[in-house]
Amino acid sequence: MNPVSHDRDDQLERLIGVVLKTGVTVSAFCLAAGLILRQVPATRGLSVAVIHVGLIVLLSTPVLRVVVSVYEYAREHDWLFVLLTMIVLVTLLGSLLVGIFG
Amino acid sequence: MPPVTLTIEALTLFAGAVAGLLGAMLGIGGGVFLVPFLNLLLGFPYQAAAAISLTTVIATSSSVSAARSGRHLINMRLGMTLEVATAAGALLGGITAQEMSQSTLRILFSIVTALTAVAMIRRMTRRNVILDPDVSPGRLGGRFHEDESGGWVTYQVKRLPLGLAASFIAGNISSLLGIGGGVVKVPVLNAWCGVPMRAAAATSAFMIGVTATAGAVIYYGQGRLIPVLAAAAVVGVQIGSWGGIHLAARAKAKWLKLLMAIVLFVVSATMLWRGLR
Repeated sequence: MNPVSHDRDDQLERLIGVVLKTGVTVSAFCLAAGLILRQVPATRGLSVAVIHVGLIVLLSTPVLRVVVSVYEYAREHDWLFVLLTMIVLVTLLGSLLVGIFG
Repeated sequence: MPPVTLTIEALTLFAGAVAGLLGAMLGIGGGVFLVPFLNLLLGFPYQAAAAISLTTVIATSSSVSAARSGRHLINMRLGMTLEVATAAGALLGGITAQEMSQSTLRILFSIVTALTAVAMIRRMTRRNVILDPDVSPGRLGGRFHEDESGGWVTYQVKRLPLGLAASFIAGNISSLLGIGGGVVKVPVLNAWCGVPMRAAAATSAFMIGVTATAGAVIYYGQGRLIPVLAAAAVVGVQIGSWGGIHLAARAKAKWLKLLMAIVLFVVSATMLWRGLR
């Protein structure tokens, strides 16, 4: 076992934990706020936008987690994992393109 | 498609809370409960139910993995390697799901739900195998502290191509059916790839966020996702799983698992019947 590489993995794990926690908290807050705003006639239009923001944050969180991984593995010069995480990122981009144009 | 009224919103939030609670207590995603609720009980098209369920799967994966980070249970390198396969499977599944008939999707769901029930019953009595703690984990293996035995568990990953194949299929059914796909990956990783149960489950839950995103983005872009119901379901699931994590520490999960396995068999049979009709 190489202790140095495991220390770096610890750092990545912590960073990913922060990204996931922030993303899920912000999105849950937006989605809950959207549901409440929807019950008031005056803010019904605004609620649609707030819910979409919540959903976009939710869907972006795992993508951001992959971006952070690419960056961290590049800093470690672990090129195999840069390649693997880049492939995942390109696949997610492919999904986005299929969703929009498919 | 039924109109989205306040009653439907409230019911979806409540169903999400129940799905999240049971999911957290049983160690499975809530999708197997949420999809039949939306499709069979409320009467939304299968694809709309799958899309909503996928958004809750992303939220669950993110919050569960955030809570687990720093405890070495998640094998990130293995997860990111297998994600190449799950994401590709999910992209393909997301494309085909748009064209598939509701009855085909229901029959597929019925099969996967029955498998989930079988896996749950088998897991009731299973314990982790004691492994040699001094073995080198290799490039993809891992090492974590097991709270029950109080010892360190070290493992190597074997038969990676098999793990990749299972991950591809898991990604595929995740997008098609609106579930996480852990039911396909976890048994394979545990039984054939040498990954201890808890590490397999944590790594699978970690990967599921990316897998479900690859599928959910397609449904969202294609206008198959009903935003308000997704919001209600996600908020419900978050509340439910928060409660479930706190309850699971106290409750004896064994009988609950048996009970839910029976519920899943009933769900599976109903889906099959409605799919064949």
